[in-house]
Amino acid sequence: MMPKKQEMMLLRQEQVGEDIFRLTLQGEVAALPGQFVQVGVAPALDPYLLRPFSVHDCSPDTLTLLYRIAGRGTLLLSRRQPGEMLTVTGPLGRGFPAGKADRAVVVAGGMGAAPLLYLLRFLRAAGKDVAFFYGARTAAGLVLQDSYRSLADEYTAATEDGSAGKKGLVTQFVHPALSGKKADLYACGPLPMLRAVAALAKEAGADCYLSLEARMACGVGACLGCVIRGADGGWRRVCTDGPVFRAEEVFGR
Amino acid sequence: MTPDLTVKIGKLTLRNPVMPASGCFGYGEEYAVFYSLEQLGAIVVKGTTAKPWTGNPPVRLAETPAGMLNAIGLQNPGAEAAREKIRQLQQYNTPVIVNVAGHSPKEYLQVIRILDEEPAVSAYELNISCPNVRDGGLAFGTDPQVVNTLVQAVRQATEKTLIVKLSPNVTDIVAIARAAEDAGADALSLINTLLGMAIDSETRRPLLANLTGGLSGPAIKPVALRMVWQVSEAVHIPVIGMGGITCAADAVEFLLAGATAVAIGSAHFINPTVCPEVVQGIAAYLTRHGFRAVREIIGLAKKAAGGEGEKDAGKDHCRS
Repeated sequence: MMPKKQEMMLLRQEQVGEDIFRLTLQGEVAALPGQFVQVGVAPALDPYLLRPFSVHDCSPDTLTLLYRIAGRGTLLLSRRQPGEMLTVTGPLGRGFPAGKADRAVVVAGGMGAAPLLYLLRFLRAAGKDVAFFYGARTAAGLVLQDSYRSLADEYTAATEDGSAGKKGLVTQFVHPALSGKKADLYACGPLPMLRAVAALAKEAGADCYLSLEARMACGVGACLGCVIRGADGGWRRVCTDGPVFRAEEVFGR
Repeated sequence: MTPDLTVKIGKLTLRNPVMPASGCFGYGEEYAVFYSLEQLGAIVVKGTTAKPWTGNPPVRLAETPAGMLNAIGLQNPGAEAAREKIRQLQQYNTPVIVNVAGHSPKEYLQVIRILDEEPAVSAYELNISCPNVRDGGLAFGTDPQVVNTLVQAVRQATEKTLIVKLSPNVTDIVAIARAAEDAGADALSLINTLLGMAIDSETRRPLLANLTGGLSGPAIKPVALRMVWQVSEAVHIPVIGMGGITCAADAVEFLLAGATAVAIGSAHFINPTVCPEVVQGIAAYLTRHGFRAVREIIGLAKKAAGGEGEKDAGKDHCRS
């Protein structure tokens, strides 16, 4: 789907956790899971840049984003009211592929869960057997658990402090899900978590797809501001070479 | 009646005075998915060097009040690879201006040598103003004698239209402008970014890995406008004005200040269709005010300012 710029009306702004909001906009973006949009958080030139958000969910007439207030841009976004118009450009970037295996193991870390709800829906529609692992530092970091649980055949939550689900890093609990049938791995979350997921995939010989984030300006591959160092030493643009990468592209074989 | 938007820059006749600024438009393909690039006056591609450059390590970007800092460091695939990308742009029947950079005069000339036979290249914009690379870029743009020598050497190497892009990071931009004009430049473009920095007070570290970067966006527009006013007054060659343009009204300000054409940079990042919108907006402005051609408004604010204002502009803001 070619990206386009459009004005979208804000339908709902729901607080779903501590500083975490679910924003629903009216209109179609026709994104694949893992793709993102660039959003003008306020109708002004300060803050200047758009904010990239992964697609949390989308349908032919709505786009849903899940975000946490992390600075002035997202704070201003959280104050936008139903009926207001937002400028949205998308869909952008490369999303998650369907994968070859019949089983999918999906790992979320904190706000990294945002793009994975739509992925679960997509994998479910493709007839995959889906195991979902949802980790956060504390219980407050696990939001919309019922939505995720309803789209997974197996569901495991974990927190580092044990305030909800199993106690520990979520990646500690993934191994058994990979020991049976061949599975593809999908993950989004902090870099150390992604590194651990990539190691699990390597050990199991599984294909592994990771969604990364970076500070961006253009979002379309022109400015070269969001590059990361690939495993081969060359630059990768998170916006257009990603945000979803094969694990070996980032961490090597 | 649709107003006449054409302007001349060196040997080129542009269908309208709006072009992207180098570095904000890649090699054009990234924005071709949003609109046909035939709507542009010219296509200005990324800073191109003789050999591939890897650029600076990340973090390369930082947002600042009404603007942004970048320290990309002229990452580019080199002139040979760039030529292939530039050839793809011929389908748009629009002049292609290649921004040329190097560590030494020899490297600038190498780029010209690689690209000069290529019909898809219409003009060069000599980048003597990039603040993000050591031993090059800005180093060539701050001394009138060095500018004169480099521009003369490039002038002798090409018949194509030669634009020299000036840095605002100098004490007297007019002296640099005159040096470039005297050396045979066909036009000047200004301003490149302003050297700046940002520090995260919480982590107590500079935000950019390169420590400093180039400031762009609406925050720099008043500086850019003042310099375009001063330079266009001092030289007899066309000026391409840029710095913080985000809409047609901004572009008109630059034309009124004396620019023959305008370039739009980081505004692409907040609005991928900014260029065609500005073209339409300029046409609407001309119609609304009864002008038949965009050429009629170039430098018009100077006439309005009259003799005194003209002479004093930019020299003594404190007196009033």
